[in-house]
Amino acid sequence: MRAAHFCESCGKVQPPVPVDYFSFFGLPPRLSLDVAALEKSFYELSRKLHPDLNARAGSQEQEWSLEQSSLLNDAYRTLRDPIKRTEYLLHLEGVLLEEQSKSATEQARATGELKKQIVPPDLLEEVFELNLHLEELRMNKKMGDDDPALFEEIGKAKLSLEAKHEALLRELQTYWKEWDGLIDRGPDASTTDRQRVSGKLVDVLNRRNYIRNLVRDVNAAMEN
Amino acid sequence: MSYSDKVIDHYNHPRNVGSMDKASTDVGTGLVGAPECGDVMKLQIKVNRETNVIEDAKFKTFGCGSAIASSSLATEWVKGKTVDEALAIKNMDIVKELSLPPVKIHCSVLAEDAIRAAIGDWKKKQEATTPVAAEAK
Repeated sequence: MRAAHFCESCGKVQPPVPVDYFSFFGLPPRLSLDVAALEKSFYELSRKLHPDLNARAGSQEQEWSLEQSSLLNDAYRTLRDPIKRTEYLLHLEGVLLEEQSKSATEQARATGELKKQIVPPDLLEEVFELNLHLEELRMNKKMGDDDPALFEEIGKAKLSLEAKHEALLRELQTYWKEWDGLIDRGPDASTTDRQRVSGKLVDVLNRRNYIRNLVRDVNAAMEN
Repeated sequence: MSYSDKVIDHYNHPRNVGSMDKASTDVGTGLVGAPECGDVMKLQIKVNRETNVIEDAKFKTFGCGSAIASSSLATEWVKGKTVDEALAIKNMDIVKELSLPPVKIHCSVLAEDAIRAAIGDWKKKQEATTPVAAEAK
């Protein structure tokens, strides 16, 4: 159910209640989200909650509409973006990305065993190699040298990265469906199930971070 | 966010940047990544087989200033230490030394991971090259 933004009988703006962004829009925490419907509901609410439209209301009501509007904007910006939406859901699930890596290191320290790297080794190698090429390209430019072969190689790598990025988004969507299946099952879905699927989501987001940074760096290096 | 003087010093004058022969049996290589920010860090150590002392260390890091400083410091610290002494380096030691803010703690975690990974790789090579003594039964 949507959080009560307005009084049921008089229609006046109500104080914001602490809810998550999904509930703010009256949505279940599903990841496959109808963005067009979300947008529609955003515009509807934003018209009604806009502080300017409540200018003639009492100061208390104005204050509430300001708070509600800012919550609405945050909620909309977070939910309309597929990555931010997924990250937000993981945050709701209590997954702390940073903590995960730190506690894995602490465990490795205590047991003397090697920490399992979250990012697969071959991806790390690829990222490292490409970064070396990019550095070379930047150096060349600084010296005024031109190395068409290097430029071409980086261009190829860029295409392959973009393809990987697309593939990761598709992979992410398959885990969205798994997650949504759990939400649809309601209380029957166990904590273990939720943890298993959120683990997969974290994994895809991590790999995507690598690719995203690389694409950004490649673009910057090629444009300059 | 502002970097501490020590971070800036390591960033502007990184120690021990470079690489060693990955295939050499004396060399251990650790390649690790921080998924939170997409950084990647390579740390290599050259170990004396007689004494287990780390005689040389090199690194190459692609990432933010704190990640570069953490790995630069890590190479300085492991040099001259035995493998076991180096394993005792904790990420919080690096945090303290470089005055890293909470949002950059993962950089120090990455550096500790890199040390462990490099030592792990070296140990694996030693097991592979030295014949294991048959256990008396």
